[in-house]
This record gives sequence, structure tokens and C-alpha cells, in this order.
Amino acid sequence: MKDKSLVASAEGEREILRLKGVGIRFGGLKAVDNLDLYLLRGELVGLIGPNGAGKTTVFNLLTGVYVPTEGEILFEGQRINGLPPYVLARRGIARTFQNIRLFGNLSVFDNVRIAAAVHSRYRTWEAMLRLPRFYREEAEMYRVSEELLELMGLSAYREEKARNLPYGLQRRLEIARALALRPKLLLLDEPAAGMNPQESQDLMRLIREIRERFSLTILLIEHDMSVVMGISERIYVLDHGVLIAEGPPEEIRRNRRVIEAYLGEEVS
Amino acid sequence: MGRTFAMRSWTRVGGVLLALLVGYGVVELALRSGWIGRYGENVLMAIGINILLAVSLHVILGLAGQFSIGQAGFLAVGAYTAAVVTTRLDMPFELALLAAVVVSVLMGLLVGLPTLRLRGDYLAIATLGFAEIIRISLLNIDYVGGAAGMQLPHLTTWTHLFVSLVIVFALVLTFTHSAYGRATLAVREDEIAAEAMGISPTFVKVFAFAFGAGIAGLAGGLYAHTFYVIQPVDFGFLKSFEILVFVVLGGIGSLSGATLAAVLLTILSTYLQQFPEIRMILYSVVLILIMLFRPQGLLGDREFGDLLSVFRPKKGADVR
Repeated sequence: MKDKSLVASAEGEREILRLKGVGIRFGGLKAVDNLDLYLLRGELVGLIGPNGAGKTTVFNLLTGVYVPTEGEILFEGQRINGLPPYVLARRGIARTFQNIRLFGNLSVFDNVRIAAAVHSRYRTWEAMLRLPRFYREEAEMYRVSEELLELMGLSAYREEKARNLPYGLQRRLEIARALALRPKLLLLDEPAAGMNPQESQDLMRLIREIRERFSLTILLIEHDMSVVMGISERIYVLDHGVLIAEGPPEEIRRNRRVIEAYLGEEVS
Repeated sequence: MGRTFAMRSWTRVGGVLLALLVGYGVVELALRSGWIGRYGENVLMAIGINILLAVSLHVILGLAGQFSIGQAGFLAVGAYTAAVVTTRLDMPFELALLAAVVVSVLMGLLVGLPTLRLRGDYLAIATLGFAEIIRISLLNIDYVGGAAGMQLPHLTTWTHLFVSLVIVFALVLTFTHSAYGRATLAVREDEIAAEAMGISPTFVKVFAFAFGAGIAGLAGGLYAHTFYVIQPVDFGFLKSFEILVFVVLGGIGSLSGATLAAVLLTILSTYLQQFPEIRMILYSVVLILIMLFRPQGLLGDREFGDLLSVFRPKKGADVR
């Protein structure tokens, strides 16, 4: 892995993700077609589009839930088509889910700690025999999880069952859990959905903060146009599975095709 | 930080070991002095073996959330393997128990690997089929006595049972309170989310399944050498169902619950043997009543420790 990235050009080094002509077909339906997209390290990029445009499908392609039927996905210069989700998570792609998927009956703390285990290396038998490595790595997971709960303002709820949290906090917990993987690329699927304007403003501030702190690259799906315009450096617009525009927010805002796609909706 | 975890756990381990030793000694004395009679000893054995069976399914259903309705199949595999080792191969009983575990684990992998790769309830069907295949096969293998079964010496002692219980509980608890145990719970809660968090659902499920199979196999080895005779008819669907009832009744996900249910139901069913005609009816009535009034099971998803923690100051860590 290292060797290849060394060979790659300086431009390639800056680039963390590239999609080349990626498409997926479900029977006769082309959910995503010929998608070209790239992300540079440290960027915060928005992915927008009307309902059913294929945004979440793109996330599912990037995280290995779906295997693209066409094209190629490169993560850090490596082809990742067809790798299962857990391998991609270990490699550094973390995500949140549009329809929250927490481990509902487990504590807030354990939700984060489960993800933090991704870098632990002890074996089952080492755990069962309680060998030193078990204690060392458990302590590390414990520390990381506590820090993240603190950062996301969830410390007060650590022993609470995840499903008992209010909606907005569940979304925050999903982000905390994704961060526990210590990812390089974070995919956020409508993190502000169901939040009031104040809450989503706070969340966006937090997202900017975690990007700095963990030097993350973030790809953000968002429905709320004002939110995504305010935070993204670049925006991709999908409609019917096809990329219809790409550029900085101010250009996207004026783009005629984008306005048409959102027909009737305000593009503020 | 790692050291504090380790130190606390050592003092705890010390306390637990002491309690275990005392418990073992008291029962051993009671058995030797004849205070617990022959009948009492049989009940004790039945309780212990049923606890093991309950725990075996707890690992598969309670922790990993996979429906196995063929635990009796692994019980049979363990029982017959151990029986063959002691009576046909004339090897020591302890070795027979080990063989029972190993063969059951292998059987678990054989059934689990193809079915657990899939999402959904394929496992339930596969285990049901597996248990029947085992039963019918045993029925038709003359080497192990066919329908008449095998006559066996009574070799299982309280010491065997006790040591087995301690080892199984220690392994299940250390497993549960590790990243692997938590990963297993994560898969039970949401397989897709678990996979997105770097957990391989197939590994987790197959591991839990083979683990549970091994425990059931151990129970089989002990069972075979407790009640003098084993027959294929002992390992039918009803037996699997009985094991399922322990776990559901105790509260799916609770080790203490499964244990408690196994103890209570074994005692109940022993008591009801005085009324053979209506035994199953009463048994069913009890089950229906409990499910009506406590649908989440006796303990829900709590453990005895949680109930005790009410009296303790709120603690930060639960690493043991």
C-alpha cells in the first residue's frame, strides 16, 4: 500500500478519493450513472440533489454496501471496488446513516467503544485469557471513547441506552461512533435531518471543528440547501443518478440546471 | 491506566475464586456425607447440564442474535462422541469431554460457515435440519447402538460438572466483556451498522455459533455419563425447544437470566415428574403465564451484577 502511494504523483497524494465513470444498475434501473468525482485531502465537499437522486446510493458504493457495476473507485490511489464494508471501515472510510443505525440496546459509551475497537489487535483467546495486551488495548479504547463523547457533548449520557437518546443526540452519537474508527474520510448522510435551524447551525460548527482536529476529509449529503451552501467548499449535484453540476457554492447557487432540478424548491 | 484495570480485576478474581472454592467444597462435603442423596445428586447434575445448555444457546441467540433451534443436535454430537471415546476406545473420561467439545465445534463450523454468511433466518432452518439429521443418523448407525442407544458407566462427578461450569462461565464472561463480545452484540443490534464499523459479521456469527456448539457438546459429554444410557430419542426437537425456552424465558441477552431459567425449569420439571400425565400441560401453563406477565423474560437484558450495582457507587468502567 505504502509503495504505491509513494509512486503516485504529488497531485495523486493530495487526492484521497476518485470515482471514474462509476455506475450501478439494479435490474433495468440505473441508480447512478457514469459518475466522476474526486476529493482532495482535507476538503469538505457537499453532495446534494433532489429526493431519489442517488446520493445515498453513492455512499453505499463508497462504503462497499453496493458493488459498482461500472467504473472504478480509488481510495488513496487503490482500487476498492468490491471490498466489503468492514474492510473499508478499517482502511479509513467511516460513515453515518440517513436513517440512524445505532446499536440501540447498548450504552452510548459502548456504541463508541465498539467502533474504537477497529484498531485493536488482540485476539479472542488473548481476551479470554486476559493477557496484558488485552488490558493495554482496552484502556486505549476506553480513553479514545471518553474523549469523543466529551467532544460531542455526550458525556452526560454515557450509560444511557442509545435508543433512549433524543433524536439530535442520536445523530451526534453516530458521528462520534464514526470518528472512533479514526477515519481518513468521513461520509455524513444528512447529519442535520430533523434538526431545527439552531441545532443544525451548531452541528455545522462542530463538523468544521472535527475536520480541523482530526484532519479529516468530509463528504456531506445534505438536503437543507442553506446548511450545505454555508459549509461546503465544493458541491456536487446529482439528479436522477447523473452528475448535473460541480463547483463552489456560489456557482451552484446560480446554476440553471440545478435550479431546474430543484424545481419549486428554494435555492437560497 | 492499564495497570489500574489489571489490579482491580485481580482483587476481584481473588474474591470470586474464594467464593467458588467455598461453594465447591460445601457441595462436595454434602455429597460425601450423604446429606445430598442419590436423587439429589441427579437433580444437581441435571441442573448443571441444563445451565451449560442454556449458556450454549445464550452465546448464539443472546449475544449474537442468531436463532439456533437445533442445540440438541450438538448435545447429541457431544454425548455420542464422548460415549464412543470412553466405551469403544477405552480412553479417560476427561479426554472424552475434550473430544466432545472439539467435534461439536467442528460440526458448528460445518453448519455455520455456509449459513451464517447469509443475512436472515437461514440458520434456524439449517440447525433444525442439522439436529434431525444427527438424530436420524444415530438411529441408523449400529456402531452406536441404533435406536437402543448406548449403555454407559456413570463417570460424571460433581468435580467434572463444577470445573466445566467454571471454565464455561469464565470463557463466556471474558468473551462478552471484550471487544469481540461487544462486536457480537453490535451484530445482534444492527448488522449493517456493525459492518460499517469494521466488524466482519460472518466472523462474529460463526465464532459465536461454534463457541455455543462447543459448550453444548461439553454438556453432551457430561450428560451421557450421568444417566447411564443415551438414545437418539433423547435428542429430538423437544430437547432443542427446551433449551430455547431457557434462554427466552430468562431474557434474551442475559446470561444470568438464562442460568436462572435453567435452574428454575429443571427444578420445576423434576418436581412435576410426580404427575407424569399432566407434566407437560403444567409446564406449558407456567411458560404461558411467564410470557404473559414478563414478555421480556425473567431478567430482561439485565444481569445479576446490574441488580447489585444499585448498591454500589456509580462506576465508570466495566472492564473486567
